[in-house]
Amino acid sequence: MATKTTGLPVSLVTDPDTVTDYPFDHVITKENTLKNYKVGEAGAWRNGGRYNAYDLTPYDETIVIDADYFVMDQNLVKLLEQDFDYRIMQKNNLPGNQWKLTMGMVGLPYVWATVIIFRKTKKSEILFDLVKRVQRNYEYYRRLYHMREGNFRNDYAFTIANVILNGYDLNETQGIPWNMLTFAGVITDIELAGSLLKIREDKKAYVIPKQDIHVMDKGFLLSENCQQLVDQLCAA
Amino acid sequence: MSELNEIVEKINQATDYQTNKRILREKTQTDLHVPYNGGLFKISPELIAFLKVWPSDELFLEDTYQNPIKIARDEFFTLCCEHYQIVMNTWHDQHEQIKRIRKV
Repeated sequence: MATKTTGLPVSLVTDPDTVTDYPFDHVITKENTLKNYKVGEAGAWRNGGRYNAYDLTPYDETIVIDADYFVMDQNLVKLLEQDFDYRIMQKNNLPGNQWKLTMGMVGLPYVWATVIIFRKTKKSEILFDLVKRVQRNYEYYRRLYHMREGNFRNDYAFTIANVILNGYDLNETQGIPWNMLTFAGVITDIELAGSLLKIREDKKAYVIPKQDIHVMDKGFLLSENCQQLVDQLCAA
Repeated sequence: MSELNEIVEKINQATDYQTNKRILREKTQTDLHVPYNGGLFKISPELIAFLKVWPSDELFLEDTYQNPIKIARDEFFTLCCEHYQIVMNTWHDQHEQIKRIRKV
């Protein structure tokens, strides 16, 4: 779907047990040794090896996206035409309002590691090395930055690495300048209707323009409805 | 299905025009960004008007990332007008569609 939308090659980074039928440009496997991962109704959700992206990518310019981020428009590609080391998604909207959160009551406002664009430069390499360092010493950084949650979050690790790398300047503009749209509720169906998307949650429905969306409901991502949506988008 | 279940079902299918409208506007604001000469600009009526009246062919403009970008005025003006028109037409078309939808 992302290849169809952007025209860019797409590679998958996963563990050796994953079997996929999709014709990815590369399937990069890495043994998953994480002890800290979530197990929900939809299965295990391992999300802790993001710092490997810099070493694993086969490309000079890379857009790292989570598997729950649907690329349906060209906006991320626009960013590749500029001069930068990396860009991270900074602003996140729910359908009704802005999702404006800090890592804790007195913590930093955090970035979203859901979408990261980077080039193979020294500064990007340092960013990913810092994320690795934060992850290795997470308990220390958790206390230092007054984080609310105890479990590891990529978003927090990238927030800390980003702020250190920018000299603790919160006004440094390394972010993607627009909002990500996130659906955090239980999704029952998403349907493409011309240039619009009809999104049905368990208690609400939305009709929105076809655009990039972040769907947090892992149950939907593994459902037949999601498969149908991907097929519909690829055929459109 | 009981009457109560039917009502709940109908409520669950209802979609809020104001929320849809807000999301559509947000998407339009994103689409208005255009890359040019290594910079990223969000096109606005003010930017188009400024480019139209600026007296010299070359100038420097501040982009979204607060960098000064060298601009060839005519070229950028044409790009901005074309892009603005496409995005605003799409906004209008999609707004016409969503304002009629009350149920999904």
